Amino acid sequence: MLTVTDKFDDETDSQVEPSGKRTDEWSECLTLIGKHEDRAAFTRLFRHFAPLMKAFALSGSTLSANNADELVQEVMLKVWQKAGAFNAEKAAASTWIYTIARNSRTDLFRRLQKFDTPLSADDVSGSQESEEAFMVLHQKRGRDRIRALINELPNDQAQILAKVYMEGKSHSEVAGELDIPLGTVKSRVRLALQKLQIRFED
Amino acid sequence: MTNFHPDLDLITEYTAGSLPLTQSACVSLHISHCRRCQGIAGQLSDLGASLFEALEPAPVGDAQLNAVLARLDEEVPLSYARTSKDTSNTPAILQRLMRGDFSDLSWKNIGSTLRISYLQAGDPQHELAIYHFNAGGRIPEHTHRGSEMTLILQGGFSDAHGSYHKGDFLVRRQGDVHAPTALQSEDCICLVVLDAPLKFIDWKFRWMNPFLKLRTV
Repeated sequence: MLTVTDKFDDETDSQVEPSGKRTDEWSECLTLIGKHEDRAAFTRLFRHFAPLMKAFALSGSTLSANNADELVQEVMLKVWQKAGAFNAEKAAASTWIYTIARNSRTDLFRRLQKFDTPLSADDVSGSQESEEAFMVLHQKRGRDRIRALINELPNDQAQILAKVYMEGKSHSEVAGELDIPLGTVKSRVRLALQKLQIRFED
Repeated sequence: MTNFHPDLDLITEYTAGSLPLTQSACVSLHISHCRRCQGIAGQLSDLGASLFEALEPAPVGDAQLNAVLARLDEEVPLSYARTSKDTSNTPAILQRLMRGDFSDLSWKNIGSTLRISYLQAGDPQHELAIYHFNAGGRIPEHTHRGSEMTLILQGGFSDAHGSYHKGDFLVRRQGDVHAPTALQSEDCICLVVLDAPLKFIDWKFRWMNPFLKLRTV
């Protein structure tokens, strides 16, 4: 029985960004695609996310422009094909789409390195969906907090997070590239996570 | 409820997609059983998504959009219907790496208490294997030339540092020495990822050291 609804009502309603765009526009698009194979919704989603995916593909500049274009197409096609499994009540559209982009890029890296494996990145990435309503609200608050705090990170921490998440580099690769000790990379990541209030909850 | 978890550095690399495949498999099996780690992995994925949304967009032309629109009627790959929920006692990841269940694997006996089955995960830098120790069996004292990641799939074991049960996740690093003993109550099955071979200290097993190689097929 959900008893926390009232308390959180103001936070579950869609919010309006300064641009006037509703932040849940993309969940609506995904839902329209999943339920009605809505091509107009897909086109809107493509125009917003494909350029982000291309930027993501080119981060760290290990992929060629051709590979990046292929990746954008592959990810957008997957978004279309998997949209039926998207549940707006359990997952955030941006995280859902980012996860597909991340896994597809990891698989592409492995294909380019001629990995021969029966496992895909999807197989080992688990589900980010929460089953309980309380956790869903809790996660939404966490996302809003991360968005609000992320611009306040000091440069050295923001730079490391970008290398870790957008360039997909391991902590030791980042250390090698920036020529700093591995321990410094780890501590900057941890400091950034503390500032964003990302932590284990016991 | 498990008591031993991957640390924040590992879960960060896991959610960023930079962890080697076999290590990701091991972390993901732990997370699927651990609400605490699910919570943090969810927050870290949201962090990745926030960074993703804040990227400077790179131009994508209409030709690309049209190319994708033209492919929307393609048959959906069957693999997309795969569920992440475990339907049997064998976790889904392992089902993809094994034909049948644990009893159908081919095993290599190491002494009288331990047998090992190597899985073909296709990760060139790491060995992924299932270790089966008999109830109460002791693994000869050994040290690590690299890192060893262990996830307990069934039963449990103890060593000088503690006692570990199903779902627990452990990392031993270079130079750590231990001699695990399986719990008396049941056989223990673990998933183990190595990036360098073990090194036995126990004199009865030292002769094996020069022959220990990573099996990374």
